[in-house]
Amino acid sequence: MHLLEVENLTKRFGGLTAVNNVSFHIDEGEIVGLIGPNGAGKTTLFHLITGFLKADSGTMKFKGENILGLAPHKIVNKGIARTFQVVRPFRHLPAIANVLVALKSPRGSRKIEWIKTPERKALDLLEDVGLSEMMMEPAEILAHGDLKRLEIARALATEPDLLLLDEPFAGLNPIETDLLTKSLRTIHLDGHTMVIVEHKLRALMKIAKRVLVLHYGEKIAEGSPEEISKNKKVIEVYMGKVS
Amino acid sequence: MVTFYLKRIYTSFAQHILDVPPRLLALLCFLLCLLFPITKPKSYALFIMALANLMAIFSASWDLLVGRTGQMSLGHALFFGIGAYSTALLYRFYKLPIVATIPIGIFITVLVAVLVGFPSMRVKGPYLALVSMAFPLIGTGLVFYFRQYTGGEEGVWGLPKLFPALGRYDRRIAEYYFTLILLLISAIIVYKIANSKTGVVFVSILDDELASKACGINVTKYKLMAFAISALFAGLAGAVYAHMLGIANYETLSLSLSFLPVILTILGGIGTIYGPIVGSYIYHITDRFVLTEMNIPDVWHLLFFIVLVVIFILKWPRGIARFVTDKLEDLSEEREIEERGPHIWKKYKRKKESTHEG
Amino acid sequence: MFEELLVLGAITGAMYALLALGFTLIFGVAEVVNMAYGAIFLLGTYMFSFFSSLWKVEELGMVTIPPLYVILAVILAAIIVGIAGSVVYRFFIDPVVEDLIALLVVTIGVAIIIQQLIAINFGHFHYTVSLYVPGSVTLLGVRVTITRLLAAVTSIVLFAFVWIFITKSKIGGAMRATAQDREVAMLMGINTRRLSMLTMAISSSLAAIAGILTVASSTQITTPYIWTTPLVLSFAIVILGGLGSIKGSLIAAFIIGYAEVIFMTFMPGQVSYLRGAFALVVMVLVLVFRPRGLFGKRIELEE
Repeated sequence: MHLLEVENLTKRFGGLTAVNNVSFHIDEGEIVGLIGPNGAGKTTLFHLITGFLKADSGTMKFKGENILGLAPHKIVNKGIARTFQVVRPFRHLPAIANVLVALKSPRGSRKIEWIKTPERKALDLLEDVGLSEMMMEPAEILAHGDLKRLEIARALATEPDLLLLDEPFAGLNPIETDLLTKSLRTIHLDGHTMVIVEHKLRALMKIAKRVLVLHYGEKIAEGSPEEISKNKKVIEVYMGKVS
Repeated sequence: MVTFYLKRIYTSFAQHILDVPPRLLALLCFLLCLLFPITKPKSYALFIMALANLMAIFSASWDLLVGRTGQMSLGHALFFGIGAYSTALLYRFYKLPIVATIPIGIFITVLVAVLVGFPSMRVKGPYLALVSMAFPLIGTGLVFYFRQYTGGEEGVWGLPKLFPALGRYDRRIAEYYFTLILLLISAIIVYKIANSKTGVVFVSILDDELASKACGINVTKYKLMAFAISALFAGLAGAVYAHMLGIANYETLSLSLSFLPVILTILGGIGTIYGPIVGSYIYHITDRFVLTEMNIPDVWHLLFFIVLVVIFILKWPRGIARFVTDKLEDLSEEREIEERGPHIWKKYKRKKESTHEG
Repeated sequence: MFEELLVLGAITGAMYALLALGFTLIFGVAEVVNMAYGAIFLLGTYMFSFFSSLWKVEELGMVTIPPLYVILAVILAAIIVGIAGSVVYRFFIDPVVEDLIALLVVTIGVAIIIQQLIAINFGHFHYTVSLYVPGSVTLLGVRVTITRLLAAVTSIVLFAFVWIFITKSKIGGAMRATAQDREVAMLMGINTRRLSMLTMAISSSLAAIAGILTVASSTQITTPYIWTTPLVLSFAIVILGGLGSIKGSLIAAFIIGYAEVIFMTFMPGQVSYLRGAFALVVMVLVLVFRPRGLFGKRIELEE
């Protein structure tokens, strides 16, 4: 059984079809990349999977269960967590409190390791992403790169089976990119399945084992990073048609 | 043995209150309030201060909902009024004693809050603001329409007083202390909720409801919770108010009452819990004593406060109480910078910048 | 009976339409929920009364105002209130347009300031605003005073005028563009702040005129404290009609006008108190069950 199974998913906004009949599946333990030019529908797809938007047609199954039409917080509690393309921290709360919010959700407060208090768990998560020094800083003064990592820590707090990352490398300098790649590898080894939307293809190709390509809402290619980088259609789409 | 525990209590006290400048300040203010009646104030002054205490509870309840959870409420008088009318009607029709009518009245208020809360959850921002404004107006219409039960414009008279056995002046003193203690307890409870993990979730809803959902939080549940808690304290204030005055009328549902917590909270500091309390005291003391002493006609008072509110919200969105605590924090931070050196300066500067932007 | 409802509903609807128009404009173009809208409505009536009292004439024991001066008073009131609205936008609303809570508080603050200033200058209690044109007319067998008929007709004419302005003129086009997508409009070189100021001026003038027509033609007396009624009424109509839709406001105004008239006719007891409540209940129901109203855009993503 696939971890996530999406079939014929379609979403229209008035006259515009943002996601057009997209089908794919994600298996446990994979790191899958999702790429495509701007406006291809990648973030819309994330919104659909996580329940922030309701699909017009198609099916979505997570661990065999139908999740189409579920409210976003319910989907999180089923095991899918996400980060946002533009970070959305809780500005008035300190970093550790940001994580504590997620730990207050039903899934986040499950007593898996019941020796730990939520504060301890939050601190551990911050350590995992390298933010333990900033734990008491209000989110509004953190730098962009820190906020991205904070959001990942927050997503991890709900112990997701599937982690959707929306442009995690955006706005990071090379050092930060390197650090994040390492963190992501560790997160993967911890047993999290990931789907990553990215524009920084070099960074993505280093960690993704399989790549899906979207263009104008349609899936136009699927395969390993090598296959994709050689795919004529994909090159056309990114470089523009050579007429 | 006893000394051991006393020492423990003292250390805890010192750690939690004495060492925290804002809390120390609050403690001093509370002590001042306790001593107030010793100055042999006029009966009217005691009455006004008791009123200030009730309005502080009312405004703190508003702040929890609006300043902490981000759910705009421009019709908070609904809860106050239902608290007042419930206790009044329970007395009028069932002749129950105060100790019964007030708690039941509060319970009814919370019930209504949940009922009203359900449609309110579906709307956000300005729409929520207007929906909240609509409910007390609808309520007022109903009060007049069913005048045979509610007494129409005249309201419900002859409610039992809080301390019927005492003489007039002593009763005012008792009411003052009673409301003061209520304020203390309410403030502590609301403060504890606001700073608990539930309170943290409230702030997450204020900051970014969408992100909160993305953390698996059932935002609707928490919003209803905030509604209910807020209504509880507002209803409490309303019920006690009715018995202090002896009547419950349509003014307890009025728009000006709905706007009062807005004024008081902005003056004092939105999003804190002590802000509305400070605001209530500033407002009532200034309104009834300072401005009246200066022989300024009543109608100018409100204008004065509203202009202040507008200036405040344009210049210092975080209010005066915040301003004071920020300054206190700045002082301790500046000391820290001197001690720890330049790398703290960067953090301090960034904080300053973002506070000015925000 | 039926004819009475028909005519009365039409008159009510016409005046509600003008009222809602001003509110829709400022909401659509500037994305501002102007809590002071009702206060501006009221300000218009007081300004009108002030001006018309300057030119009153006593004749045979009756106080009248020459019709030309009446019109002048209306125009002056509308202009002054319009300018005031523009100033309010520039100095109070524009700085806080981003922060909703601050915006609501500021506009409520302005409303209360207007309320108090009116109370200080004109007194707390009932104040007479007279716009009386003698005589009545029979429409469909129903007796209608000329005053009310004139008020209704003026409302419709003004509504049409503004509609044509919005759809045909260049500035109207800029308004529509900004209402549809503020950022794109800015990128296209539209000075949205100045446009909002202008829209606010128009909106305020419309509110003022709507106020004069409504109060002067029905109750004729007013107090400074009833500004919430026109505010929530405007809001209810605009919500029902759908945000940003002028057509929607027109239709919704008549729906609510008629519904109110029917409701008030058939409900037993002293219904006048329920009048405002009725529109509010409608509004709450719309917001809960169909937030986009009749003709509004679909509210999509949770953000």
